[in-house]
Amino acid sequence: MKLKKKTVMLATFTVGTLLLATTALADIASKSGYDELKDALKVTAQQSSETFDSFTLDYSLALKDNGKTLTSNNETSKFDRLKGASEGSSSGVSLMGEKYSSQTYSDKMTMIRVSDGDPTYYVTEFTKEREDRSFTNPFKEDRADDLEKIADAIVGSLKDHVIVTENPDGSKGLAGSLSELQIPSLVNAVASFQLKQEFNGIQTQMPHLTKDVFVKEVKGTAKVNKEGVMESILGSAVLSGKDEQGTAHDISIEVLVTMKDINSTTVTKPDLTGKKVVRNIAQYYSKSEISNPEKFVGKFKNDILIEKDGKFVKVGQRFIDITHMENKLVEGRYYEEYKPGFEEYATSTRDIEFSAQFEKDQRGNANFEYTTESGGKGQGNLYIDDFHGKVNFNLNNRNQSPRGGMMFDSNFTPDLD
Amino acid sequence: MAVFQAALINEIEKLYKKKKVLVAVLLSLAVIVIGQLAIVGVRSGLGLRGAGSLEFPMLVLSVFVNTVLPLFTALVAIDSFSGEFTQHTMRITLTRPVSRFKIFCAKITAIMLFILGALLLLLVFSVLAGLIFNTNSATLDSFSRTIFSYIVSLFPMLVLALGIVLLANIFKSGITVFFVSIIIFLTFKVLGLIFSQYSSILLTTQLDWYNLFLVNSFPFAKIVRQFLIMLGSGMMLFTTGFYLYDKKEF
Repeated sequence: MKLKKKTVMLATFTVGTLLLATTALADIASKSGYDELKDALKVTAQQSSETFDSFTLDYSLALKDNGKTLTSNNETSKFDRLKGASEGSSSGVSLMGEKYSSQTYSDKMTMIRVSDGDPTYYVTEFTKEREDRSFTNPFKEDRADDLEKIADAIVGSLKDHVIVTENPDGSKGLAGSLSELQIPSLVNAVASFQLKQEFNGIQTQMPHLTKDVFVKEVKGTAKVNKEGVMESILGSAVLSGKDEQGTAHDISIEVLVTMKDINSTTVTKPDLTGKKVVRNIAQYYSKSEISNPEKFVGKFKNDILIEKDGKFVKVGQRFIDITHMENKLVEGRYYEEYKPGFEEYATSTRDIEFSAQFEKDQRGNANFEYTTESGGKGQGNLYIDDFHGKVNFNLNNRNQSPRGGMMFDSNFTPDLD
Repeated sequence: MAVFQAALINEIEKLYKKKKVLVAVLLSLAVIVIGQLAIVGVRSGLGLRGAGSLEFPMLVLSVFVNTVLPLFTALVAIDSFSGEFTQHTMRITLTRPVSRFKIFCAKITAIMLFILGALLLLLVFSVLAGLIFNTNSATLDSFSRTIFSYIVSLFPMLVLALGIVLLANIFKSGITVFFVSIIIFLTFKVLGLIFSQYSSILLTTQLDWYNLFLVNSFPFAKIVRQFLIMLGSGMMLFTTGFYLYDKKEF
């Protein structure tokens, strides 16, 4: 009897262990629909940024209030990875009810833009080949792994809501839907609060939901072809609530993205013959040195003002005369000239010579020391603003403490007269 | 069978006489009241609906199975074993002409009945509160899913109880068992967050397995797998627990 009890116990324990081990392994090995969805997204991003020569992406979005369209947007983007070129067109209706449409084209050397409202082609030409940034893989970003883990944790028990159907040709269909009962209350509350704030922050055209706001439903379907690339994904969500007057609103948002013409998309540059074209050369403002610095050699000026009898009166002018400028160095003279009758405003620092070195990696920024006519020493700062074509010039913060009610402006504009 | 019945009635009587059960009932009702107040606050303060009449019981369940219920299951299980070991009342129980196996089973069944009772009580009150205080969103389908969710929550909770019983037979002091259980519980929770792809084999994740019954498509394979994992771990915990209990000298 004793032996029998032990045997039964041992057997039960073994069966339990086996049961646990095998199902646990099976459970880990089995892919949930959510995992399939993630894999498809990864494969698609990887293939389109590294393997496909060209493809077309269609993106459309519609926002509806009780079935009435509030705003819609359609975008078609064509990518040619070999040429590093892309072409895009976008059209839709804005929240204000205005229709719009525009086209863009971009390759390594040019960027062209045109819109319906203004038939002028704006062409930006680049002097150097640009890096190809037509399509980058978002899963290769630094934080992608961490974000994926966070997303997994948030999705948690909702993973099993994605259903996979396999078609005989090897393609797959993914579908999922969540009703209000299935969305965890906390997630629902946070999401609806966020959406409510977002909608109420913008235009009056949006219904302002104030009461009983909740996410009613979230749905999605996706098609994955036999190579594992996602060909289309359709998502929709319904936010329900009441406005101030107590009218019920169901605001729905639908997004459809399709990928097509893989390796058979052609990107064509728009034909500009006979069109109104505005050309400009791209400036590389992000570089640390100013391109062709010689253009800054010359005089810059601004007015010295005082306030008298409730009006501004010009008492004189300040000048900067840049005599020499190169990538590292700027030299010149600063002086003030007063109009007849206002000579009493002139002070001892009114005429100085300066020679300033540009600070390393600080575009257009230079500090200098100076000696006045009377032998006093001081420090100053100069900033060449080639974006606006101006020079910013300061002496010992003198601009902040006006002498005798004089107003100094530290911005100098070119004296081109 | 009559012997087992007598032992079970004995165990239930002991459980029933303890203040802990009353505290558990009061706390369960407190969860409902606090939850309902929070919903009302969210609704008037932020303009959100918070929860509809049937989302409310689900909200209560999601909080309850992860906090109050495991805590009181642990207390009841510890009381039933460690409590009797330290108070030496176990000897009195064992002097009866009942085999140790039957006593062990009776104790487990009593704990199971406690869990079931707590779940049913919570179900009734949260559904009532949900219907009275919240905008109606109930359909027959969602109502039956709600009831089902409450009932299936019994299984993972029973496995949890078996785990605690095992611990109670390893450690002598009830307080040690209590703290070790809490530490293991929290560790599992954290592990489930970090290794979310393996989380389905952890007991703490299975506490939320009622969510599977809410899925529209009814993921049968997944439910079976989860059930078998719970069954397997339950069998292991039960036999090990009983083995230790059987060997114990009083």
